Amino acid sequence: MKKTVQIPLGSQHISLLEPIRFKFECENEKIIGVDADVGFVHRGVELACTRKFEFKQVGYVVARVCGLCAITHSLSYTLAVEKLLGYEANDRIKYLRMLMVELDRIHSHMLCLAHTAENAGFEALFMQIMAQREPVMDIQEAISGNRVQFDYISIGGVNRDLTPDLSALIHKNLAALSEKVDALMMLFDTNWSLSLKYKGIGVLSLENAYTYNALGPLARAAGLASDVRSESSDLPYEAVGYTMVLESSGDIHARNFVRLREIVNSIAMCRNIVDNLPVGEIQEKVKGKPKGEAVVRVEAPRGELFYLVRGSGQNILERVRIKTPTFSGIPAMMEVFKGSQYADAPAILASFDPCMSCTAK
Amino acid sequence: MFKSMLEAFLNLFKPLHTGGYPAKEIVLPDGYRGLIEYDGEACIYCDKCEKVCPPGAILFYQQENGEKKYRYNPWLCIYCGECVRACPKPQEALWQSETKQQPALKEEGVNEQWFVWEAACQNSREAYTTAKKAAKTGTNEK
Ligand code: SF4
Ligand code: SF4
Repeated sequence: MKKTVQIPLGSQHISLLEPIRFKFECENEKIIGVDADVGFVHRGVELACTRKFEFKQVGYVVARVCGLCAITHSLSYTLAVEKLLGYEANDRIKYLRMLMVELDRIHSHMLCLAHTAENAGFEALFMQIMAQREPVMDIQEAISGNRVQFDYISIGGVNRDLTPDLSALIHKNLAALSEKVDALMMLFDTNWSLSLKYKGIGVLSLENAYTYNALGPLARAAGLASDVRSESSDLPYEAVGYTMVLESSGDIHARNFVRLREIVNSIAMCRNIVDNLPVGEIQEKVKGKPKGEAVVRVEAPRGELFYLVRGSGQNILERVRIKTPTFSGIPAMMEVFKGSQYADAPAILASFDPCMSCTAK
Repeated sequence: MFKSMLEAFLNLFKPLHTGGYPAKEIVLPDGYRGLIEYDGEACIYCDKCEKVCPPGAILFYQQENGEKKYRYNPWLCIYCGECVRACPKPQEALWQSETKQQPALKEEGVNEQWFVWEAACQNSREAYTTAKKAAKTGTNEK
């Protein structure tokens, strides 16, 4: 007699509304095998970038790949094209770009923490974190003029400058947030019912993180020091006070803590950037058409985002390849599910912070 | 745990985080990226805004007498501001306001009408160039 039961999680299933399917092979409550399938939705973004839109417009197209890390997508694309055009932005532009990316990381991490709390059955905490996340979105809206689609980065610079009023607003909101994050850290560390759901659950060992190529907070929670911010020199992260955040236990608790500590680090970086903004133009003229091939990696909130751009000196590009962090992290995610309880699966999944909008592009 | 229970109780008396929409208006920040506005008087009809616009929300209709007619689709626009940056006369001919676009209703037939207009613009250009060419060859022959 067959001893195992197959339970799907996702695509069109009630507990996961996004276009991805995990099929669990369960023995009683324990998951012993996992099968993942993405590709229920295809939006054809990459093809659109090489057919319909000119290279100056593609930055606005790729920003629509994802609502949460729109700025990371447009930044990676813009960096790649600027490499092809042989242009390097001045420090002010780089700092402003970094500021937006870090603000984005803060609110994206908070969203993930909220979802992990929700999936562990702590709805009130979900509401609370979402409310605390709002001031960060307000800052981004004030800087860029829109809440979600910032359209802030364009080839050769950024579209808006930071005014003294804005700097004051950033300082005010970040100061309030930083107190709240401290309280959250306390809560995540000491709350008894949360610890039942988080500690020792969904463990990814360092060895597996290495073998299955985990990335982003998932890898750093397992102790694997992988962060594009420390590996690439496209943006001067060292100068604004970046530190690598590492945990060792590799469970949901560790992933939450990587995120919380990264928020603290990002807040410090944002303050540094606002206080020490170099002088310079915010928009420079870039001439020419992209010719050749460039690869850019940027650390998105969920891990490494990879862009390949190839042009042949025409207005329309030849190839735009986007590899998103969630997609690259799926093998490691599958590994984490094995051996855990089926009831924990939603919380484990939420702790990966999967972004299906990125994956189904 | 007792602390969090106390907190939960105190939360009952704290002010609301949510805004009371739609009874209360949403407050937009200064510099909100809103609709694009246009003034035909100042425009020099260079078509730069039309060329840079990523979704193609600005189109010019070519009239037979050589004049052009501007048309803008506020629902297609992504409010990126590229057109204003490309315009040789920003703030005079083309500028970005802080008004927010309202959602479209089905009755307004936003898409259908715009497709008609897109096709009309395309045709008007082609007709104009052929007419011009014909006129040129006509004068050459004379
Ligand atoms: S703001 Fe952007 S999308 Fe809107 S009309 Fe101008 S260029 Fe087009
Ligand atoms: S770019 Fe400015 S001047 Fe040129 S056609 Fe558009 S509105 Fe007119």
